[in-house]
Amino acid sequence: MSRLEAKKPSLCKSEPLTSERVRATLSVLKGIVASCYGPSGRLKQLHNGLGGSVCTTSQSSALLANLSVTHPILKILTTSVQNHVSCFSDCGLFTAILCCNLIENVQRLDLTPTTLIKLNKHLLSLCTSYLKSEVCGCRIPVDFSSTQILLCLVRSVLTSKPACMLTRKEVDHISTLILRAFLLTIPENAGDHISLGNSIIVPLKGQRVVDSTVLPGILIELSEIRLMKILPIKKSDSLKVALFRVSLSGDLSDTGEGSVVVSYGVSLENAVLDQLLNLGRQLVSDHVDLVLCQKVIHPSLKQFLGVHRVLAIDRVGAALMEPLSKVTGTQPIGSLGSISPSSYGSVKDLCTAKFGFKWFFHLIPNEATVCSLLLCNRNGTAWDELKLTCQTALHVLQLTIKEPCVLLGGGCTETHLAAYIRHKTFNDPESILKDSGCTSTELQLITEAFCTALESLTGSLEHDGGEILTDMKYGHFWSVQADSPSVVNWPDLLTRCGCGLHNSREELNWSFLRTSRHPFAPLLCLPHEAVGSANNLTLDCFTAKLSGLQVAVETANLILDLSYVIEDKN
Amino acid sequence: MARRVINKKRHLGLQQLSAFADTGRTFLGPVKPSKFIIDEESHESVVVGSTVRLLESLDLSSAVGQLLSEAVQAQHNTYRTGASTLLLLVGAWSSAVEECLHLGVPMSLIVSGMSEGLDSCIEEVTSLQVPVHDVFDHIDSTKIFSEVESLNVSLCPFLQMPSDTGLILKERDLKDVASQSLTTCSLSERPVKSAKLFRPQATVGADKNTSQTPQTLRNSLLADSRCRQSVLTHSRHCNREASDQWTSKHGAAAPQTDRCGLGELAVGLSHGDHSSMRLVEGAVRLQHQNTSVCQSSWKMPFMFDISRVFTCCLPGLPEAFSCVCPGYVTVVSMFSATVLEDLQNQPLGVVLIEGDLTENFRHLGFNKSANVQTVLESMKKLQQDSSEELWTNHVLQVLVKFNVNLVLVQGTVSKHLIEKCVHTKRLVIGSVNGSVMQAFAEASGAVQVSYITQVSENSVGRGVSVTFWRSSPLDVGDGISRMAILLKTEGINLVTVVLTDPVTAQMQTKEDRFWTCAYRLHYALKEQKVFLGGGAVEFLCLSHLRILMEQPLNKGDQICSGGLHNTSSWLASSLALYRPTVLKCLADGWHKYLSTVICNTANYSSEFEARTFIQHHLQNATDSGSPSSYILNEYSKLNSGVFNSGISNEPEQIPRVYDIVTPKIEAWRRALDLVLLVLQTDSEIITGSGHTQIKSQESEGFLFV
Repeated sequence: MSRLEAKKPSLCKSEPLTSERVRATLSVLKGIVASCYGPSGRLKQLHNGLGGSVCTTSQSSALLANLSVTHPILKILTTSVQNHVSCFSDCGLFTAILCCNLIENVQRLDLTPTTLIKLNKHLLSLCTSYLKSEVCGCRIPVDFSSTQILLCLVRSVLTSKPACMLTRKEVDHISTLILRAFLLTIPENAGDHISLGNSIIVPLKGQRVVDSTVLPGILIELSEIRLMKILPIKKSDSLKVALFRVSLSGDLSDTGEGSVVVSYGVSLENAVLDQLLNLGRQLVSDHVDLVLCQKVIHPSLKQFLGVHRVLAIDRVGAALMEPLSKVTGTQPIGSLGSISPSSYGSVKDLCTAKFGFKWFFHLIPNEATVCSLLLCNRNGTAWDELKLTCQTALHVLQLTIKEPCVLLGGGCTETHLAAYIRHKTFNDPESILKDSGCTSTELQLITEAFCTALESLTGSLEHDGGEILTDMKYGHFWSVQADSPSVVNWPDLLTRCGCGLHNSREELNWSFLRTSRHPFAPLLCLPHEAVGSANNLTLDCFTAKLSGLQVAVETANLILDLSYVIEDKN
Repeated sequence: MARRVINKKRHLGLQQLSAFADTGRTFLGPVKPSKFIIDEESHESVVVGSTVRLLESLDLSSAVGQLLSEAVQAQHNTYRTGASTLLLLVGAWSSAVEECLHLGVPMSLIVSGMSEGLDSCIEEVTSLQVPVHDVFDHIDSTKIFSEVESLNVSLCPFLQMPSDTGLILKERDLKDVASQSLTTCSLSERPVKSAKLFRPQATVGADKNTSQTPQTLRNSLLADSRCRQSVLTHSRHCNREASDQWTSKHGAAAPQTDRCGLGELAVGLSHGDHSSMRLVEGAVRLQHQNTSVCQSSWKMPFMFDISRVFTCCLPGLPEAFSCVCPGYVTVVSMFSATVLEDLQNQPLGVVLIEGDLTENFRHLGFNKSANVQTVLESMKKLQQDSSEELWTNHVLQVLVKFNVNLVLVQGTVSKHLIEKCVHTKRLVIGSVNGSVMQAFAEASGAVQVSYITQVSENSVGRGVSVTFWRSSPLDVGDGISRMAILLKTEGINLVTVVLTDPVTAQMQTKEDRFWTCAYRLHYALKEQKVFLGGGAVEFLCLSHLRILMEQPLNKGDQICSGGLHNTSSWLASSLALYRPTVLKCLADGWHKYLSTVICNTANYSSEFEARTFIQHHLQNATDSGSPSSYILNEYSKLNSGVFNSGISNEPEQIPRVYDIVTPKIEAWRRALDLVLLVLQTDSEIITGSGHTQIKSQESEGFLFV
């Protein structure tokens, strides 16, 4: 007997942003992400409270993946940040904080959402067109003939994640490795259409970070050391490879529902094994040197192949299948039937290598765009963080090759951009007002809210109670100890700006970021000699930051635009 | 476990760390009193004798506790030593860091300052490294195996050998014998080529020997090492083999001269656990003999392969029965042992089975289909035997066919099969360690297989012999009598260390200690260097930090030093202000370490006395201008309490203490990493099904998102 229950009515809430609870949870979320931001950001321990593994992190991807938020407004926010991170890897915290700041600042203004949204969009397009323009004063073109800028970029990514627990030497070592790994994925003979290879991160936990290394080709972890003895003899200058996707373990493929009836004396297992051995015979007669299998190979088949000097490597794992197929030029074989000769591929050489306590097969391909980054770190949680960070750095390099420029990091881009926007709307408000039909007061209010959101974002870089200054020439970010005497000789107290491009001896004027100042025009067009000489810059990925900015503003607009939340309570 | 009351206003994570770490304090140093851990609910108790075992038995389910146990496990799994050092430093540094926070040092500066300080210390202590050269070239000779580079030799005490003429004479004898047999040996090996190559070296060696006088021991050492470098690899091998032969003939000389090579290194690394180290040393010697006998490995320099050392624990026997045996010692049931009478004194055929030897066993990754039914078509085919019986008979047929009397199985073995085998005078041993299988595979020519059907003539090994290890049965603690047996084959690279203890509860501790010693020696030999031990390294760190503290940071250095990643922050400019405090905090860790070691070895009754003692030496070291030479000086006197373990019974023969290099430094790094990781953590996020809780350390309560 089924029972019918009356449906509960949907719950409809108007003006969700005005609710105290939403504001409170939003500020908790902002607290979490803002406290993680930057090289001295604080870490979070994520665990399930039941003795599960502990993840210590300050990365948005790890954080948001584990944070199960309940309110729809927060869900919108976290989902858009996660989407951004999945496409660009970098600038997730930036996006999240900026979005929270924008919502918070704009809410205080007594303006209609339509106006807010319209003007926010205008300001955003002002930002993006400035960042994309040639005159942009916070953008550096990347010179691929030297590694300097790229290394700085990688180093900035690494140092922004303190939970990797790297010392400076280790940061240098890993940065070099990442850059080398990236360069190994670029094909040597590039036509019109370049497709980058991939770098596979191979875990080696417990070892010293400086033991990490990069090798061209693929590393397959070896479970049995004794296999070393039966390395195939190279008959020609390359080894013939067969790659199996299907399990060769000798079990029956899924028989579905119902049962299979066999007569006494018939062994299905033996039948399958016979089929496997037939397959083995074909492999041997086809002069295959190396058999790779994603899953398990039956010991008898392995023995058979071993007797015929064919090396069998099983349990390769799904993750390596795609790169293996790419590197060897094989078609992964999916059935136990006969194999078409076209599915075989080749590798240049094969050897075994020992790293730490693990043995590996090292497959050296003929034409390598695949490399293995053997990554070591002392403890598990730091290794996980380092792996994510390395992936981010590799991705950032890929984005940079598509759009060959970088933005100044360390907060300088944000303060510079805020100065530019302020100056632009103060001196040339007509161009915006003409399109939008808003008053100039409204514009000034929104501009202030927008620019403060950017500036207080840079404030989140400071976690030890320092204060932020900006200079009146470049509009860069400078940090200073809190409670500094009011009349001081700034050049003595300050050293370098956030990105490291300018130093305090340059005859600049400073003002606290939190105090109001007259809009000024920040210097456009970076001087070339300044960029050339500085070798320790903090840099950000251009594409990721630009997208982060767009996602933040658009998500804020979306949230501001919400007038009802309708929840289905059934 | 009782936890200390944790003051809520301070950093919870750090307090938890220091509370946890405090439990392992007494395990530091050579004297390790055991602890009883009692479970209040089940009233079960265990005796633990090491940090790792202690942490295994504690409830460390909190986030910080888990990070701690993860760090200790990682250190233990990688190096098998240094866990106590790690734990103590974690405790000391977390309380010191807390103190720093209390003094208002910005967190980022603590992080950068401490890592920079540790880096600097790690660089500094390389001056206390002693290279370990070719211990095995002198495994039984009077040669001294180490030299201190770039230091005046007189500073290093153990280079000052007693200038005993007798010893030198013996050495010369040995050399002469060696050089004589060297030519013959090389002739037999490589008739034409090597004879030419060798002769000059041999004469040089002889010349050096004849010109040698007792007073110029050091010179001769250097000369010898120079000569040694130029000698070809295979000549060295022959040399070694020759000297081995010599000592086996004149065995009486060996114990007397033994202390200078491997022996001294082993004693120095034993850290008070001489009985375990003696066994380790025995294992190394056996393995070395093995590899030098084995002609195939002559190209490779000898490595102490720890994977080929195996322990067999026999509780209930007196300690004196502990020994080192070449081959594999294991325990079998009395029933199985009955076949030994017949199998003794004859070479046996062996089959190696990886996995189980049961009817139902299938290799890993094989999925059995559940829905296959077998039907009988006619009654004629019905046989009386069950399928198990059929399978057992099949196995026996295979064993008979290939004349196999011994089966080693990595997994479990069917009981029925064991019985059947015993009746046909065959021995089947289950639960054999993987590296033991590997060793037998190499030595007997057997190939490991998964199924008995895979066995062929090629996969059967030959020439394994089996004997009783001890003629009387033993009780391993469960009331069932068993026999210990010894399996051997010609040239097997496997050493079993039999560990015995009358008290069953101590067996685990004993095994752990053996492995600790084994890994210590392993790393010393692998890295070819050791530290001067007994606290010398920590003391140098302490005095080095003291000097760093007093050194003003010059403005030029400021940007490149300091360990700060972000040199543009204001923190970089206020580094100078806080640096001494942070470095002192780092130094506190080693201060605590040293005073704990001294207290634990009972040289001083209170920690206060120990601290005063350290302070005194620290002052002297700083005043002397060069702490490292001060340490070497004190070390050579060997009467100073900092540097000896103080547990030797013979004061005139205090052995030098050594420490291993990388595991120690890595333990420091891991300890600091953990403390800094916890320090930088400001909140705990508990992820769960449905709702998320955020516990912030500042605002104590739970916040919900």
